Amino acid sequence: MSDSQDIETATTAIQTSQVAQPDSKTRRYDRQLRLWAATGQSSLESARILVCSGSATSTSVLKNLVLPGVGHFTILDAHVVTPEDAGNNFFLEGLDSVGKSRAEEAVRLLSELNDGVEGQANTANLDDILEKDPSYITSFSLVIAHNLPSSTLDRLATLLWSNTSFPPLIVIRSAGFLAEIFIQFHEHPIIDSHPETPASLRIDKPFPALLDHALKLDIENMDVIDHGNIPYVVILVRALEEWKASHNGSPPKTYEEKSEFKKGLLARKKKADEENFDEAAAQAYRVWTETTVPNEISKLFSDPGVTSLTPSSPAFFHLLKALQQFSSQPPHTLPLSSTLPDMKSDTASYVHLQKLYKARAEEEKLVFKSILKKNGAPVDDAIVDEFVKNAHGLKLLRGEKWGSLDADKNALSACLKGNTKETATHLALSALARIQAANPSVQPTEDDLRTAVLALIGGELPRSSSGEVIGESELEEAIGELARAPTADLPNTAAFLGGLVAQEAIKMITRQYVPVKGVCVVDLIGSWTGVVQP
Amino acid sequence: MAAVNGTPSSGDWPNRYFHVDQILDKPGPRTDPAFSAGPVVKDFLRNQCKILVIGAGGLGCEILANLALTGFKDIHVIDMDTIDISNLNRQFLFRPRDVGKPKANVAAEFVMKRVPGVKVTPYFGKIQDKGEDYYMQFQLVICGLDSVEARRWINATLFQMVDDDNPESTKPLIDGGTEGFRGQARVIIPNMTSCYECSLDMLNKPTAFPICTIANTPRLPEHCIEWASVLEWPRVHGDKKMDTDDPEHIGWLYEVALNRAKNFKIEGVTWSLTQGVVKNIIPAIASTNAIIAASCCNEAFKFATSSAAFLNNYFMMIGTDGVYSYTFEHQRRDDCPVCGGEELAVEIGKEWTVERLIEMLVERQNIQIKKPSLSSANGTKHIYFQAPPQLEAATRPNLEKKVFDLVGDAGDILVTSHSLPFSLNLRVSYV
Repeated sequence: MSDSQDIETATTAIQTSQVAQPDSKTRRYDRQLRLWAATGQSSLESARILVCSGSATSTSVLKNLVLPGVGHFTILDAHVVTPEDAGNNFFLEGLDSVGKSRAEEAVRLLSELNDGVEGQANTANLDDILEKDPSYITSFSLVIAHNLPSSTLDRLATLLWSNTSFPPLIVIRSAGFLAEIFIQFHEHPIIDSHPETPASLRIDKPFPALLDHALKLDIENMDVIDHGNIPYVVILVRALEEWKASHNGSPPKTYEEKSEFKKGLLARKKKADEENFDEAAAQAYRVWTETTVPNEISKLFSDPGVTSLTPSSPAFFHLLKALQQFSSQPPHTLPLSSTLPDMKSDTASYVHLQKLYKARAEEEKLVFKSILKKNGAPVDDAIVDEFVKNAHGLKLLRGEKWGSLDADKNALSACLKGNTKETATHLALSALARIQAANPSVQPTEDDLRTAVLALIGGELPRSSSGEVIGESELEEAIGELARAPTADLPNTAAFLGGLVAQEAIKMITRQYVPVKGVCVVDLIGSWTGVVQP
Repeated sequence: MAAVNGTPSSGDWPNRYFHVDQILDKPGPRTDPAFSAGPVVKDFLRNQCKILVIGAGGLGCEILANLALTGFKDIHVIDMDTIDISNLNRQFLFRPRDVGKPKANVAAEFVMKRVPGVKVTPYFGKIQDKGEDYYMQFQLVICGLDSVEARRWINATLFQMVDDDNPESTKPLIDGGTEGFRGQARVIIPNMTSCYECSLDMLNKPTAFPICTIANTPRLPEHCIEWASVLEWPRVHGDKKMDTDDPEHIGWLYEVALNRAKNFKIEGVTWSLTQGVVKNIIPAIASTNAIIAASCCNEAFKFATSSAAFLNNYFMMIGTDGVYSYTFEHQRRDDCPVCGGEELAVEIGKEWTVERLIEMLVERQNIQIKKPSLSSANGTKHIYFQAPPQLEAATRPNLEKKVFDLVGDAGDILVTSHSLPFSLNLRVSYV
């Protein structure tokens, strides 16, 4: 970060050395650090983004990346500002900007948003760079392209697809109220996906210290206050163990057994208002829901990245391999999470339970690390910690090349059947791009667009099993709008896409949360978004 | 350069509206036949339409910029806040040198400087400072607020302004809200769509920690922080008010909470968490605000120009796992106290005291009335009043009495609150 912030940080630290008051940078980014934390912020600050064109949409995207503090951005745009540009772009200064370089004007005004961000204007021609200096483009960490001529876009996409280590590409196409975005990437592993569902507490497969604790507790002779403070986790572990002892070692299986088990929990109450037993009854499903490796995670074990692992494979695959080996041993689960949810209990009982979970999680992590070590796969400790902690939410996305959908008529037909309005809008936008590529100066008619769409899908629209044509009205609606406003970069559409694309860019860069797969279509007449994915 | 009848208006240059005019010069397949393409609609948008933006924060900054670029020329903005450093990660009309200044004024000035010919009139204050005559001057109202209370107030106020003999008195309200990667935009047209009050039960319930947990059995760092702010602060500082924007106050709370956590062997009290808990901080980012503000402004543009159908009536989106959105027609509630007209039926126990009924009114998702005052027999018989002090003292003994003993079998109760410009008719039955 810049020197001025360092000085401010230093003085803040002196003034309040007693307490851990955050520095000015942390205060500035407080509201976003609560979403992606310091690790996400640091990824963002190391990112270098190339944006092709300085259109209203492009500057809207950049605004939402400069504000949260992306490291570097370059606008690549050979155009000078026209009166049309000056009317719809907030990062141009009206008529004062007309005639100047669009890249330079936009970079100047975007840079005002955040001292910590480096902005650069490149007034070269993208086609020239693709021709003479492709390594310039591949040196960025992410490339974003808005409404590029389709021949240029195809070359750009082909270049970035040609090597798995090259940066992802976000394609944006928009006209009037309609738009779409697509992220081209080879593979995108996510360790911290921020899943909604928490990790298993493993009540059905209690680790020895937990089982021991639950069984040793002298529940019968406890005073009433302590009894009302036993954490539900302990109640369930104990009740399950007792149940199994009288049911040949099996947990409750049938509906009747489950009801009986729940009733039994409530019958253990010493007083009617013991909330911990109510919680135990409400959480009883954990007893008969077997903790296993979640389906989405075990699927990852058969990913080619794991099955054909080499010493030079990315760390994520070495970690996955170790995870597979870990979970192939009893109790056939993921490593335990040390996170315990809040539950009715007194402080001592809760903290004790928390300690048991933490200690066990630490032990299992050591086992995991020893597997990694045995495999000869050294991975940074911080990454291993992160990986183990988030094991239940791991994701691995595999993407497609830009244009692969349009090259597959069968896939288009299938999509049209499944997601009619989304696919119709996508087809209309593809048709518009083709027409504009063939003849940039002509205003396309609805007939032109219709013809181009039919060419894309192989002559005619698909039919349903009862013989009805699918997508006709949806297509007419999309075509009509594009014929109305084929070159309109509307301020509201630009702002909407600016938010959407920046959000996806942040997810790609931080490797947190889950980016969208497939073509994400936006219709701001119907005020909807949707995804087309074969 | 003064605005005269017709176009062009001040600040315009040839092709300034090249992009927007593609929409305004001809209809599309989904455009209402009443759309009058060309000069008429442009004149209305650029020379006649007056729009109010409530809030100049995360959504407000975006809304003002979008409206100005789409061609709204007469924009008013209300905001009661001043600029804080933590706003700068998303409120892009503000710079570090603006910290401490009123948001409405700085935002208005910036937009006018950046988009020539647009007039933005700021008001640094509360929406409640203004009356019906003020709100009547606008064709549209857009809200970018973070307060449920303020939204309820403006919603009810706009509903009360509706005069059946004057179509101009029906003011569409476009409301946006965000939280982290989630957000929603909706269009409320008084007496046509559901209203803000109809959807109260869709709000997330705020996390509330039971006082006995905080006092006796803390388990989470949050419990220690609540102990510091709810119990220790008043005990140590007496009547001195806690200012959650004062770093010294947060510092004190942090240390007290940290100490308690140490005593109880609880981990995880940090400065950031302390601030988050006591200020009830909601994560906020530029990108979500951009999406939602754009949706709001897009609906305003479509409504003002009739160039395309507007949203009927609710758009919500979640960006954590891919891009998920859902557009639907939110339904009116017949027992909505603002737009429904029917009484709200509640069941209570025969032994319930007035105090217990009040607790329920505060907590129930579809009611949520803070500090309610109660009366019966069409408001003529006082049950309990929060203010003025004499009336509060006079009605206080009723708190202990049973509701049944006060209102009897045909239990109709009128509920009012200082913070809400409407009353709620409860029909009480006993179980």
